[in-house]
Amino acid sequence: MIKTTEKLVFESPKSLKAGMKFPFCAGCDHGVAIRLVAEVLDEMNLKEKTIAVASIGCSVMLYDYLDTDCIEAPHGRALAAATGVKRTNKDKFVLTYQGDGDFASIGLAESLHAALRGEKVSAICINNTTYGMTGGQAGPTTIMGQITKTSPNGRNEEYYGYPIKIAEQIALCDGTAYSARCSLDSIANIKKTKEAIRKTFEVQLQGLGFGFVEILSTCPTNWHLTPQESHERVRNELFQVYPLGVYKEV
Amino acid sequence: MNYIKLDKTRCKACYLCVDVCPKKLIIKGSQPNSLGHFPVEFKDPDNKCIGCAMCAMRCPDIAITEVVKN
Ligand SMILES: Cc1ncc(C[n+]2csc(CCOP(=O)(O)OP(=O)(O)O)c2C)c(N)n1
Ligand code: SF4
Ligand SMILES: [Mg+2]
Repeated sequence: MIKTTEKLVFESPKSLKAGMKFPFCAGCDHGVAIRLVAEVLDEMNLKEKTIAVASIGCSVMLYDYLDTDCIEAPHGRALAAATGVKRTNKDKFVLTYQGDGDFASIGLAESLHAALRGEKVSAICINNTTYGMTGGQAGPTTIMGQITKTSPNGRNEEYYGYPIKIAEQIALCDGTAYSARCSLDSIANIKKTKEAIRKTFEVQLQGLGFGFVEILSTCPTNWHLTPQESHERVRNELFQVYPLGVYKEV
Repeated sequence: MNYIKLDKTRCKACYLCVDVCPKKLIIKGSQPNSLGHFPVEFKDPDNKCIGCAMCAMRCPDIAITEVVKN
């Protein structure tokens, strides 16, 4: 017990299961992102009315961490599942948490059409420029020159074409109420990411349309960098390709 | 006195918190935990912690379970 003069300025969010431990690699930003989601659920008092939709990727077992109702969607189909959940349970708060491969490769049609339909759900996409779970293959967000398991000489335009800018594409959809890109490379950006997650949740509650946030994240294991070097890579290489900012806000 | 509560069984030794503490009160530890990692240690003999909670915000594993400010 803390003394009465003492103030708890940080504690584990109530929307996370007590005692749960993330299974992510050391220094992986997935843990920060999920904690931020839980903090915003706490602060907006949404825990009891939330149905989260988990995706396929390193965050596949989201239901083991979030202390909310949760369903698991097949690879890429989180927003199709979320559409059904929300349309049949309009009083519930529905969110998806997806990797960049899940959201923008196998699931691009589901993601884009959910935005075009203006589904009143909140989607979070963790962009770590690779398929983390399966061992670091090139994905739709792999940047030019990036060496991965399936682009051993670096991504080039002739063979692989160009990466997708997800937040910009989602912002182009008329059904989108909010689309932003954030990063977890620094404390200042972690705070901004939390505010973007909050905004993404608010547009759903206000019935304004599709809420989306793309979060630039690290995959130290498959990038073959330390957690510290990974955040430097985000700043030095990813910011140029994926500028941070709010791309749409109605 | 401001202080943090550290759960060493959760620490995976990424050491990201070491870099963000403005007072450099978190250091790499020398005793391994059950995961085989060398978790960080919080050393604040002169009560320099300002309770900013940046270490807790940075930690990907909620190994810093509480930050208390007075
Ligand atoms: C239908 C189907 N195809 C392929 C796979 C293999 N698979 C599992 S996770 C994954 C990619 C995950 O990458 P991403 O969505 O970026 O998440 P990350 O692990 O990077 O967070 C793939 C291709 C699968 N599980 N199901
Ligand atoms: S493989 Fe990459 S994305 Fe997956 S837990 Fe490890 S560091 Fe994180
Ligand atoms: Mg990925």
